[in-house]
This record gives sequence, C-alpha cells and structure tokens, in this order.
Amino acid sequence: MASKQNKMTPQQQNYQKLQQKHEIKRPVLKNCLKAFLVGGLICVIGQAISYFYLYFFNFTEQNVGNPTVATMVFLSMLLTGFGLYDRLGQFAGAGSAVPVTGFGNAVISAAIEHRTEGFVLGVGGNMFKLAGSVILFGVFSAFVVALIKTLLVIWGVL
Amino acid sequence: MNYIHRLILFACLILLSSCNQHQQVKDSQLAFMKTTNLNAVITDRNKSLDRVKEIKRDVSRVPELYDVAVVEGEKNTLVVYKVKHMHRFRMKKIEKNVTEMLEKKYPNEKFTVSSDYKIFLESVRLYERMKTAKFSHQDAEKRLKEIVKMTKDTK
Repeated sequence: MASKQNKMTPQQQNYQKLQQKHEIKRPVLKNCLKAFLVGGLICVIGQAISYFYLYFFNFTEQNVGNPTVATMVFLSMLLTGFGLYDRLGQFAGAGSAVPVTGFGNAVISAAIEHRTEGFVLGVGGNMFKLAGSVILFGVFSAFVVALIKTLLVIWGVL
Repeated sequence: MNYIHRLILFACLILLSSCNQHQQVKDSQLAFMKTTNLNAVITDRNKSLDRVKEIKRDVSRVPELYDVAVVEGEKNTLVVYKVKHMHRFRMKKIEKNVTEMLEKKYPNEKFTVSSDYKIFLESVRLYERMKTAKFSHQDAEKRLKEIVKMTKDTK
C-alpha cells in the first residue's frame, strides 16, 4: 500500500485525501444488526416450517431438514420472481444471502437475467452461474468431511 | 384510515382470544415447547407399571435431560427424552450413556433410546390415544412397533 502511494503524483495524493475526507462511511454496526435480525427471522421461519413437518407429517428430527430446505428455497424463488427478495437483499445484505434462501435467489435471479437469450442457452446455461459454485464446493466439502469421518471411524477415534 | 386499522386489529385479537377460551389443549399440541412430564406407559397388560416408573425415574436422574417418556411394550421398551439446550452438542454420547446405564441395570430388557422430538411427540400421542376407550392394547402395541421402526430409520 505504501509503495503504491509513493508511485502516485502529489496531485493524485491530494485527490485521494480529499476523496477520503468526503467518503461516506459504511454503517458497519447498523448493517450487522440488520443482517442479524433478518437472517434470524429467516431461521425462525425455517424452524417453524420444520416443526410443521414434524407435527403433521412422518418426518423425524433427523430428516426434517430436507423438506424444510426445499420449502425455504422454493419460497425464496417465488419471492425473487415477484421482486420482493431483491428489496429484502438491499435492506439486509448478508442476512438474506447467507441462509439457504440466498441459494434460491441466486438461481432465479440469474435465470431472470438471461431469459432474453433463450430457454436453453440463456436460462438453462446461466441458471447455475452463481449457484453452481455453491453446489460444487458444497459437494466437495461434504466429500472431504465424509472422508475424514470414515477415517476417524476406521481408526476408532469416533 | 389508521383508526380503522387499529379497530380491525383489536377486533381480530378479541376474536382470537375468545376462540381459545375453555378449549382443552392437549399435551401433544405443545409437546415441542413445554415439559409434558408424561406418565409411564405400558402397552402389555401383563407387565408391571412399577418397573416402567422405576426406569423413568432412573433416566430422569440424568442431569442433561429434562423431559422423559417411557413406553413399555411386549418385547421392547421405548425411552424418549429431551436434552437440555446447551448439552445438545453431546446428544450421541448422552444416548450411548443412557443406553449403557439401562442395559446394565435391566439386562433382560430390550431398550430403544431416542432423543428425537418426533418420537417424543408420537409417544405423547400414543399415551393420549390409550386414554380413549376406542384404542385397544393391541393397537397400542402395533403403534409402538411403528414408532420403534421410525427410530431405526433415523440411525
């Protein structure tokens, strides 16, 4: 950083100082609070849905996560389609992107963006442009964790 | 406009609270949220209720647990419990310890131990259905077998 500053002309340095003076500071604490509240609210809704499946269907605590995640992703897809999730994303930032609902948003927003390019090459080809990395690293990390667990079981640690 | 909104909200609240009055709430409806403290249950009339109560007392003594239900059938005894929140990280170990403790103390019994909320809920529902005259001991035994099978699927 220091070497970069040395390369700058005095005019550039003055301009940077001026820019730093007028730059609007990010309200980090406020953003964190918003993300915490909205992310927490999404998790509360998820918990309510999982209790719904436990109470009314034949799911146990071990496998209730599957329909809950599917429902949450489907809901976020619908909200993205109606344009509501984007507004939530603008307000809450990471609070709406980090939970699993962010995955549904990433899929549908990419599909909407590329729909003019056709259904096959546009929607089909770009739908997983953002979410593809989530699937790839999710599957890979699950494989690594399963491998570690298998080795620990074989060695008698677990 | 604001006044109308408040009036509608107030009317809804009154309507909702009036619906809830004098309505008996079953334990199973709130089993996820409150401590039900279920009585010991036997589906086989020939078995002694005192021993099931003793099993329940033994399991209730484990400090990490707070709500225990025991259902004894012909061949199998189902022990279900809720784990205190901060101890839920050690659920597998707690389950192993409880199973070992029970098998050591009651070597002739076959135990199925679970901390699953669904299994707990189904045990409460079984208890409630057994209180009704329509539900026979055979039906209860059949349902218990189904619940035990459900626990096996999750492991």
